[in-house]
Amino acid sequence: MRILDVGCGPQKYPGSLGIDMNPNTAADVLCHLDKGHLPFRDNSFDAVRALHLIEHVSDVLATMGELHRVTRPGGTILIVTPHYTDYTSFRDPTHRWHLNTESFLYFYPGGMHGRDMWYTDVRMREKHLQVKLLRIWRFMGFELLVNHARWFRRFWEQYLSFVIRGKVMEFTFEVIK
Amino acid sequence: MARILDVGCGRKKLTGSIGIDMSPAGQADVLCDWTRTLPFADSVFDQVRLIHVIEEVDNIFSVLAEVHRVARPGASVVIVTPHYTDHASYCSPAHRWHLSSFSFWFFSDKPREYDYYAPADYREVRVRVEMLKLWKILGLQFLINHFRPFRRFWEYYLSFMIRGKAIQWELEVRK
Repeated sequence: MRILDVGCGPQKYPGSLGIDMNPNTAADVLCHLDKGHLPFRDNSFDAVRALHLIEHVSDVLATMGELHRVTRPGGTILIVTPHYTDYTSFRDPTHRWHLNTESFLYFYPGGMHGRDMWYTDVRMREKHLQVKLLRIWRFMGFELLVNHARWFRRFWEQYLSFVIRGKVMEFTFEVIK
Repeated sequence: MARILDVGCGRKKLTGSIGIDMSPAGQADVLCDWTRTLPFADSVFDQVRLIHVIEEVDNIFSVLAEVHRVARPGASVVIVTPHYTDHASYCSPAHRWHLSSFSFWFFSDKPREYDYYAPADYREVRVRVEMLKLWKILGLQFLINHFRPFRRFWEYYLSFMIRGKAIQWELEVRK
């Protein structure tokens, strides 16, 4: 199993190849995602992990293109990022993007109003999505509802999420090529 | 016949307009990176439309300066974009800007020192906020769109609960 941990920081995922732009990390390869391509061939990895990375990059579409390129068909991409209603989304001045549970529909076949998005060739499927909420909402059962009923997740996004605020989202995508 | 420019027209170009976009997959008549420069002479269009595009550009000021240049004096500029409290504002990884119904105040009733950032001069003719169905039925959309002080109150106090959807502006080009 070949695993790539992108923006691995000091706590690289065990057994993975780590890349980061900062030399004071556990990175095996140093490179800057915003300044060129990932230094790997197409389809090199079975799984790519990007934890708290995507909200920092200068171009989400270009970065997703690179993650997609180096992952083999059927491989997985794990993206962990704050929900835009969480205070951590705005706490860090290097966060450029504020995202929600539908921010990656862009890359799903037929994801944009029943059609493929034309700005990108990246195609992937949402295998799993876990939304974490603050403890009080978890105890009250909202986290369970948000994660287990799609209609409720939509209702929560549109009407409730500024009061019953999200925390972090964990997306697992399956790469389609 | 009115000359209309549809900027970032995508697949839903306004009939009879000239469409400009970056992607050949849409209905564009002119392909170019319109976020940098518009390949037209000064003061040629009677109307310029920017429908769900302004939230994606690198620099709103330079785009609205280019739009101002190609529009004739008195032309209307129509802008539609998600309100920053709408979930759709966060649904696309290409959305760089999250705007409110007062965001283009910067171009109309601005203090003179703001000319440094935004040299283009517009007059705000109309702002219309669209709300989710529930709030529309309860009459809040009507209140917001008909009473400017209420819109201000809504933006300050209510908009995280009674959330907005899309905002539509009509600006008039002043030269």
